[in-house]
Amino acid sequence: MQFKPAGDSALLIIFGDRIEEGINKKVHAVANAIEKASPDWLIEVVPTYTSIYVYYNPLKLSYQEVLDAIKPFLSAEPKEEKPRIVEIPTVYGGKFGPDIEFVAQYNGLTIDDVIEIHSKPLYRVYMLGFTPGFAYLGGMDERIATPRLEKPRLKVPAGSVGIAGKQTGIYPIESPGGWRLIGRTPLRLFTPEKDPPTLLQPGDYVKFVPISEEEFWELYGGEQK
Amino acid sequence: MIELINVQSLTTIQDLGRYGYQKFGIPVSGVMDEVSARLANYLVGNHDNAPLIEFVLKGPTIRFHSSAVFAVAGNVDVRLNGIPIEPWQSHWAKRGDVLEIGVLKSGVYGYIAFAGGILCDKILGSCSTYLRAKLGRALKQGDKLKLGYAILTGKEGRVLPEALIPRYSNESEIRVILGPQLEHFTEKGIETFLSSTYEVTPNSDRMGYRLEGPEIEHSEKGADIITDAIPLGAIQVPANGKPIIMLADRQTTGGYAKIGVVARVDVPKVAQTRAGGKLRFKAINVKEAQELLRKREFLFRNIKRLLDGEVRGYKIKALGEEFMIFVEKEK
Repeated sequence: MQFKPAGDSALLIIFGDRIEEGINKKVHAVANAIEKASPDWLIEVVPTYTSIYVYYNPLKLSYQEVLDAIKPFLSAEPKEEKPRIVEIPTVYGGKFGPDIEFVAQYNGLTIDDVIEIHSKPLYRVYMLGFTPGFAYLGGMDERIATPRLEKPRLKVPAGSVGIAGKQTGIYPIESPGGWRLIGRTPLRLFTPEKDPPTLLQPGDYVKFVPISEEEFWELYGGEQK
Repeated sequence: MIELINVQSLTTIQDLGRYGYQKFGIPVSGVMDEVSARLANYLVGNHDNAPLIEFVLKGPTIRFHSSAVFAVAGNVDVRLNGIPIEPWQSHWAKRGDVLEIGVLKSGVYGYIAFAGGILCDKILGSCSTYLRAKLGRALKQGDKLKLGYAILTGKEGRVLPEALIPRYSNESEIRVILGPQLEHFTEKGIETFLSSTYEVTPNSDRMGYRLEGPEIEHSEKGADIITDAIPLGAIQVPANGKPIIMLADRQTTGGYAKIGVVARVDVPKVAQTRAGGKLRFKAINVKEAQELLRKREFLFRNIKRLLDGEVRGYKIKALGEEFMIFVEKEK
């Protein structure tokens, strides 16, 4: 474990130097322990792949004091309980996944191969970030790895499922983006009225389930043009 | 209630930010310049976090539908019913009055605070607007905003002493704490960063300021890191070697190496630097940065008490340096 200041209001705890499930589980265990204790100097914790940013109030504790104060939490171990599996119904291809053909061609596969390979694994939610509700998923089969678009799209619809290099992910809100789009889910990944506001939580597992366009609109709540 | 009758720039409701949701990918947002914003709130007797209006360069025109006490923070011409009034002071407006705010003569962000604050439907605990995820929206002509309840008597006529008015220049020295990914840079790269002048580019907004200047050299580890979190004021350096300072609407996580993080006390100076403005960076340690912040907060507590009429403030000069001293009023 390594400790570093990240500015005058954050402590960075580094647990490892590679993306690996065991390291990430430890990250979330420690982050949860700090959050649960919620000491009065704590602003918030942000767990990531291999590290935790502990945002604190420097008017209450100095950096040295925070280093001491977090010690009791560092021994927290991941719980051995069954993780949550979130199914993501997804329409592959067509207008919902305009790049699926490219992904197939690029990797010398058929579209059906791409769907099968993409919807097979359980993907771990390593962390959330980038935009509200965006989950960094681990575990994609490298047989469907595809480089990003050279020129990002200005508008990618919410719910779009994409591939960028060796990663896959879901756009929670409409935004610009350079991922190769292979499908779309009707689920809302970010609902600001709810608390927690996101469908996916760190430590969850995600399973993509292929559905038809009809089922998409049914789940979406009516077809829109 | 107030009505916006002319809005010509990005104008939003902000408070000090939305905390506790970064782990879900939700940015903190909040005011770009907490110094100006908090002083504006103090002038009308509000607490630090009261929701207020933030505008970019050109202020809006506002009609009052009921009596209110307000204050404008910014180096700007202000008129009430056509008559010039001062910024950095609180004023009384009655039903039908029209407040016109001109173009900032320096700085980028201006603020309008109202006694009682602006009422808003909080989203995840905050009134801060975050446009990319449609948390709130940009204010436009015709919008009517309700104000919170406040006793107005005694809130008007408050004046921020001249010596305490923030002055934003377009050439600043910005103090930074180096790291946390210093190993991604060569010694030469760090030296370049600390000895060069960088210019704020027009490609800058609430999310971050892109700088132009000498390229910062990465070490053999390169510009990319395993994606981690981005604190306020973090200075990312992508592969092109040009730094980006991450501000209020920054994304919560990112994959570029960070050469340093701006000391919190200097974040407003960065935010108020216009495109074309010049920044130089100076390394300080965490202890120094936290001491600067403690001093600022001590001063702020006293400014609040001064404006609330609890203490008297005097400017004194000693050994060529000016100090502000605050003396308790006799009961």
